[in-house]
Parts: sequence; structure tokens; C-alpha cells
Amino acid sequence: MSTQHSKAAKAYQQKPEVVERHDRTFFGVRQKRDNMARALPEWENLRAMASQIKKHTVTHLADYLEQFEQQALKNGVQVHWAKDAEEYNTIVYDILSSHNVRKVVKSKSMLTEECHLNENLEQRGIEVIETDLGERILQMMKLAPSHIVMPALHVHREDIGNTFRQLIPDLDEIAKGYSAIGGSVTDPNDPTFLTFVARMHLRRQFMEADAGMTGANFGIAATGDVVVCTNEGNADMSTSIPKLHIVSMGIEKLIPDYRAMGVFQRLLARNGTGQETTVYTSHFRGPRPGGEMHIVLVDNGRSSILGNSEHWQTLKCMRCGACMNTCPVYRRSAGYSYTYFIPGPIGINLGMLRNPKEYSDNVSACSLCCSCDNVCPVQVDLSSQVYRWRQQLDSLGKADPMKKMMSRGMSFLFDRPAVYNAALWMSPAVNWLPGFLMNSSLNPWAYGHKMMKFPKKSFHQLWKEEKL
Amino acid sequence: MSSREEILQHLRQNTRETYDQPDFCQLKPITFDDPVAEFKQRTTTTAGAKLLEMKEGDDLNIVVRQAYPDAKIIASNLSGVEAQLNPDSATVEELERVDVGVIRGEIGVAENACIWVPQTMKERAVCFASQQLVIVLRADSIVNNMHEAYDRIAASGEYFQQYKFGTFISGPSKTADIESALVYGAQAARGVTVVLTAQ
Repeated sequence: MSTQHSKAAKAYQQKPEVVERHDRTFFGVRQKRDNMARALPEWENLRAMASQIKKHTVTHLADYLEQFEQQALKNGVQVHWAKDAEEYNTIVYDILSSHNVRKVVKSKSMLTEECHLNENLEQRGIEVIETDLGERILQMMKLAPSHIVMPALHVHREDIGNTFRQLIPDLDEIAKGYSAIGGSVTDPNDPTFLTFVARMHLRRQFMEADAGMTGANFGIAATGDVVVCTNEGNADMSTSIPKLHIVSMGIEKLIPDYRAMGVFQRLLARNGTGQETTVYTSHFRGPRPGGEMHIVLVDNGRSSILGNSEHWQTLKCMRCGACMNTCPVYRRSAGYSYTYFIPGPIGINLGMLRNPKEYSDNVSACSLCCSCDNVCPVQVDLSSQVYRWRQQLDSLGKADPMKKMMSRGMSFLFDRPAVYNAALWMSPAVNWLPGFLMNSSLNPWAYGHKMMKFPKKSFHQLWKEEKL
Repeated sequence: MSSREEILQHLRQNTRETYDQPDFCQLKPITFDDPVAEFKQRTTTTAGAKLLEMKEGDDLNIVVRQAYPDAKIIASNLSGVEAQLNPDSATVEELERVDVGVIRGEIGVAENACIWVPQTMKERAVCFASQQLVIVLRADSIVNNMHEAYDRIAASGEYFQQYKFGTFISGPSKTADIESALVYGAQAARGVTVVLTAQ
């Protein structure tokens, strides 16, 4: 119990009802995903194909990026390249300030979280409004996302209601409009009512904003399309009202063409949220009449990941979140227990690729059950990658001293069969030690349950006696 | 060296073995005996939309009026729809107050009730900001799955010509961001009616 994750996870267990609810919520999404997978006979084929397309694209990425850029320029889009977060933030700020933008509406983008864009723009006097409902709730509550696709499911409706009542000044006015469309406010924290409040609040933001920003689920090299998938339509509202559209896109989001797009469109929502499709799958190919469209292509470490023979396949990830939903550790420890902004199996690996010394606390957050490998739509070997990181902990100076000591002890024992056999013969004696000694907090094997009983005969002995 | 050059060079240096594209013929995606029936079923269940079928001789204008008798502002640039606003000439401020937008879809997808809506009006806000959305779709434009839909779009020269945008829409705007409770009408249309036409 030594990593930041395990400490935070332990603290999270103090409220079992919260853990239970979190666990149930995300396992429910996992089950919906399973139903989707079972409904398509070609499901495993789709996964294999998606993996192969991504492997192909990221190992030809420079060529595809050039093709994408060429198409985008032909479509009247302005293309920018950012090698790191700092350059990205500067590019976005420069575009916004040269258009005298004071307010930006923004649809969800993990890349902007990665680069801390919002803080950066706000420091420079530009107001940023998140428009995805979950993200907007978190922004108002000054919280970080706890999941990459369903960022605010850990927040309870009472807290959302209180936040809205505090921060949306004309809430009573909005509530009148709710009755006009046939709603009645019996419970002030009813999700349908709160969603209506957010809808009306955000409508005003869309109208007031001078620019809209989106991420990109996919970039299509053959046509220059940027594809954004949402259920709420907030990316579309953000880009059909303000005339300036800025796309932030990690360079690994590229796919070759429409044929590939069919594969990914069919996998993304089914695997991520257990839906046959997102409500909107929008293809942005160029600026609106009289408007401007900019695409900022961001590297920020991605080109280095490509050179990492053990971990380059994380570049295949399309951020569907399924590895989190299925992970027994994520479900019972929740997003904030992780020290990297992306939690769960993919977050453990991406954190280590970002900065292994800083984020090594998360590699303990894995039971090596391999469930994530089995649900990943692009077949990233997430758990094997976590295992490989663990092998490197000692060289990073991050190995647990107690485990190191135990490893030394074990290698001493295994190198000396006589000592090993003697220890084995004596081990049942431990059963006779008083319970208060064995079940004390000093014995990590008795954590969360009683100390095990040593069997009278060892496996070796039973084998020799042909009792197996 | 510019960042562009630096990134491209770094990628080329870091590329070790390369991989080919998969063989797409291997996929054999799902098809249906009756894609239209499948589309209708999904439209009214998972997608959460209403569905109306127009028979020959029916008037679209009357169908829309009957579906939304209380609508004060209808926006459309389709011929045969009596509208107060035309998205080719209205401002986004005006379109934000629209009760019902009437637009045309070009391809229906049976497996997920998606409808391909290429932008065919100056202000596409009508597709998203309208409180209620009517999508008119020809029944013979329904395909089995997304692969067939994308093949059609890629092969057709007519989309993205005048306006460089197109979207698949499957039912009304939805969210489940508050405690996983499914709510219609998060930001965009609160309700969708799909009008299937014979021609």
C-alpha cells in the first residue's frame, strides 16, 4: 500500500455506497457494450480490422498527415502544426486574439485537457465555456473529468442542482419555460429538469460566443474531413452559430479514408457507451459561408511514442473509454485516484509515456485480469503494457522497497532447494501463531481478509505421493 | 526547421516496421432481409424519433402541420413547405428561435437509424438549433449498414460541393450525463420526426 493510487483508492473505500454505485454505473455500460458486440456477427472481425487500419496509419503517419494537410488546404481550411502543448496553446490564442474573440464555446476534447488550454486562455482574458453537459457541470463545480467519455457520472444530482441554482442567475425564469413545454418541476434535482436548465443556459452561450472549438474523433486523410461524434449535438451547435471554428487534433487521430471510417464509426459508440451510434456523426470539411476553419495538428510526444517498440500501439487508441468501464480497479477506485488526467488502463500507459517518474504511481492500479485487452476495439494490449512498465519500476527508482526485499528473499530461497524445502516443511507452524499476530496490520497478506492457512502438505509433496 | 518539418521528420525516423491495410473483403458486415423495416424499427425505438410515412399524393406541408399543430415558426428551404424562415436567407439568431426545422436526408442506415444529412442550406444551424426537426427521406435510399452509406457518399460527386459539411443524425439530441438518466434534448433538437417518402 504505497502508491498514490492505492492510498487514494483506500480513501475512496471509506464510503462503500459511493463505491458500489460507481461500480454499478460503469459495469452497466460494460454490459450494454457486450449486448452491442453480440448483436453483430462480424464484431471480432471489426476489431481486428480497426487494429490493422490503425497500425497501418500510424506506421505511415507522416505520409497521411501530408495528404490530410493538402486536402484541408484545398478545402479552404488553415492548417497549423504544434510540436508541444506550449506551441499549441500559443497558436490557439493567436487565432482567437487576432479575431478579437472574448468568449469561446467548446465541445469536449481530451487534447485540450492534456495541454491545459482552458486555464491558459482564461489567464489571457478569454472566457471558455465547455458545452458538453458533463463537462459544463464539472467546469462550474471546478472539478476535473473522472472519465474520458462520461466525465461527470460520479457527481450526484443534488450537487448538480445546487451548483446550477448558485451559478445560473436566471434559473427561475428558465423554469417557467420548462412548464411551457409541458414539464413540471416536482423535484428540483430531476435530471430532465436540470438538463433543460443547462440547455437554456448553454443556448445563450452559443449565441454570445465569438468562436467554437471542437476536438476530432477522426481525421480522414483522403478528403480532409474532421469527424466529431456527439450525442448532445454540442459540437454542431458550437460550430453552426459562431463563424470561427478551431479544431484541435492529435496527429494519431488520422485514418486513411471513408472505407476505414465505416469501421470506426461502427465501433466507437457501440464499444464506448453501448449505443449503435452516437446521435451525430459530423463531417467538417471546410469553413462555413463567410466563416473560417482552422485545424491545429498536435504532436506533444506522440511521434516519440511511435519509436517505442513496447508501447507504440497505444497510438491506436480512439478514446472510447471501454477499458475504464470494464476495469475492476477503475470501477472501484474512480478517476480521481489516478495521478494522470486520463484514468484506467489506457491512462496508466499514457501517463507512463508522458513522464514515467511522475506517473509511476498508477501502474499498481491493475490486477492483470486482462479484461481491458478483451474489450479494446483496436486491440491494444493494455494489461501486458502495464506489466512491462512494472518490470521497469526498479530502474526508475520507483520499486516498492518491501517488495524488493521480498524478491531478494525469494531469489535466495529459490536458489537453495534445501533451505526452500525446510521452509516449506516448517510453514504450517505459522497456522499455530495467535490470530492477533497474523491478522495485524503489519502483515500485508492479511489485508482485507483473514490470514490464509498453510496446508499440511505442500504441492511438491502431494505430487510425489501421486495425490494430484 | 518548422514544427511541421520537425514532426514529420521525427515520425519518419521513429517508424520501424510498417503494416499494410487490412483486406476489407473479409469483413462481411451485417445485412437485413428488409432494411426499410429494420430502419423504421430502430428509428422509433433506440433512436427515439417519430416516423411518418407519406403515400403518393400526400402533401408534405400538411404532414408537417399535422405533426406540429402548435408550431409558430417553421424553417425550411424545401419546395412545398410553407415556412416562415428560409435557412438560405435567415440569420442564425432567427434560426435559434425556430420551432420546427424541415430538412432533407439523403441516405438512411438500417443498422443504427442514422440519416445522412448533407448541408444544403446556407445556415446549417437549422439542423441543430430547431426545437423539433423533421427529416424527409426517400424509402429507397435506405442501406443496410454504415459501410454501404460511406461507399455511397465516397462514390457520389454531389456532397460537400457547395457547403463543406455533412452529418449523420440518429434521432433527437440526447444526454445521460446526469446520473446516467437518459434525457432527450440536451443541446440540439428535442424531438425528431422522420418522414419517409415513396419518391
